[in-house]
Amino acid sequence: MVGLNHYLVLAAILFAIGLFGIFLNRKNVIIILMSIELILLSVNLNFVAFSRFMGDVTGQVFTFFVLTVAAAEAAIGLAILVAFFRNRATIDVEEIDSLKG
Amino acid sequence: MIPVADIVFYLLAAVLVIAALRVVTTRNPVHSALFLVLTFFTAAGLFVLLRAEFLAAILVMVYMGAVAVLFLFVVMMLDVDFAELRRGALSHLPVGLAVGGVILVELIIVALAQHSAGPVTEPAVAVPNTLAIGRVLYTTYLLPFEIASLVLLVAMIGAIVLTLRKRPDVRKQVISHQLARTRDQAVELKKVASGEGA
Amino acid sequence: MAEFLEYMHGMGTDLLGPVWPLAWTVIKIAVLLAPVMFCVTYLTLAERRIIGFMQIRIGPNRVGPFGLLQPIADAVKLFVKETLIPEKADKVVFLLAPIITLGAALTAWAVIPFSPELILADINVGLLYVLAISSLGVYGLLMSGWASNSRYAFLGSLRSAAQMVSYEVSMGFTLIPVIMLSGSLSLKDVVAAQSGMWFVIPLFPMFVIYFISVVAETNRAPFDLPEAEAELVSGFATEYSAMSYGMFFLGEYANMLLVSTLGVLMFLGGWLPPVSWLGFIPGIIWFLIKLGVLLFAFLWIRATFPRYRYDQLMRLGWKVFLPFSLFWIFLTGTIIHLVGAV
Repeated sequence: MVGLNHYLVLAAILFAIGLFGIFLNRKNVIIILMSIELILLSVNLNFVAFSRFMGDVTGQVFTFFVLTVAAAEAAIGLAILVAFFRNRATIDVEEIDSLKG
Repeated sequence: MIPVADIVFYLLAAVLVIAALRVVTTRNPVHSALFLVLTFFTAAGLFVLLRAEFLAAILVMVYMGAVAVLFLFVVMMLDVDFAELRRGALSHLPVGLAVGGVILVELIIVALAQHSAGPVTEPAVAVPNTLAIGRVLYTTYLLPFEIASLVLLVAMIGAIVLTLRKRPDVRKQVISHQLARTRDQAVELKKVASGEGA
Repeated sequence: MAEFLEYMHGMGTDLLGPVWPLAWTVIKIAVLLAPVMFCVTYLTLAERRIIGFMQIRIGPNRVGPFGLLQPIADAVKLFVKETLIPEKADKVVFLLAPIITLGAALTAWAVIPFSPELILADINVGLLYVLAISSLGVYGLLMSGWASNSRYAFLGSLRSAAQMVSYEVSMGFTLIPVIMLSGSLSLKDVVAAQSGMWFVIPLFPMFVIYFISVVAETNRAPFDLPEAEAELVSGFATEYSAMSYGMFFLGEYANMLLVSTLGVLMFLGGWLPPVSWLGFIPGIIWFLIKLGVLLFAFLWIRATFPRYRYDQLMRLGWKVFLPFSLFWIFLTGTIIHLVGAV
């Protein structure tokens, strides 16, 4: 019988993959943004699983807010990326250093 | 005999993990974005298993219908040399594996330490999922809900401001200018003396 | 009918045992999809004949009586032709794209009720399910354009993706007043809520916007810019041939059928008769009549209007439809609040 623990472990794996992705693709902003989406998805999975197994709908409400923030983050992140690419013709994270004092 | 729901869970979980791994490891970022879509889709399936139909539908609509399309658009439109970005990625592999592994072990230990989750408590009266969320969202969490809408508004304006650019070299139709034009500005009558034209 | 179903159930359980529920579901899916596919193929013939009639031509009339076998001939032709894959194409994505398009267009039918009993899966978020699944169709187009590795295909797919995403928003917003009036996301309840008055009457502007939006959403003329033959050769489908092209084609018509059905359910009262003394005619007949009217309007529009320009299309969606439907949502909410709970 699949219980809460199964979902928590699955979300943990997803979270770890997201984190791993950020380290693996340190130069590529797009993949980093995708990894962040994975991390947020794992959080959502936890929320919904808790909501289900504790019989409280609040978890789903918070998932709703996380979705909102994730959508906003993706939109702004990609907009910054496009603006940066127009100016510097690259999306390498290590090139984003022109503000160093 | 294993219940059908459990088989579905393991199936979805396997696809979810494989797709998520492919998102971060594949060479071609377009494939990454497509695997991201698959990840979201299987997650929506898991939400349905958890009886959160409303959120599952919203997840598909928002993430797959909008966010992932945005990713695909950006990846396809930007002319980035992705091979260049991949260079040296393997040198980050040990660090990534170490950090990811440590976090994974920690989270699993924490997750399995909790044995409080007893049998699922079904609500006494079966309320549709959407109705249940709506009742809480528009009463207890009204203020956070309004703030979330503000976050979206700010994100929308921010994204437009960041990416909008006036290109002087492109001629665009300005409908208000067209409509505001009078006959005097548009037509010039020339009197040509007969026999002296051309 | 019910006895026959009972008999089938008994037979199946005896014959297959525990596998029977699965087999029964497969049978139900087949029974649902066969008429849908039949309608889709004959919609193509109807389109050619009707537009031919409107343009004082004859249209296909050689294969079979009145050209009735033409769709079958077309299908056979598409089946037996060779599937060409461009050398530089991303083969997996290239072949996956038409499958996703057609798959998304057919999966959405699972929750569509044809009468109070005739429904495959009666889930309580039926409308959201349809919207969610139909939002997947955009991936088929994006993937096909990118994987073809061709400029025309890529431009066409970007256009159509932007167009579909934009018009999905205004289409979704036109449906919100319907949900507010009926108080349910289940398509069956939405139809049941229209027994007093079809929603097309109080929400007539929403119905008009819905219809224009879905014409744009399904990439049909006059919003068929993604495939604009004159400028983009054939848009996202440039590199496709044989059955992979056929699946795009079927997907487009299945989508047309789907959004028309959704319009019938949401605005035109589904299987309900227009006045109660006409109730002796079975609901499914009413359903098909209304569906036919909407589909005819699709073809009529295609035969009548010239193609829109792309910036005009985007302006219409974002600057006209979206604010207006938002205002209408506000208006509906205010009226419901003033009148009291519906």
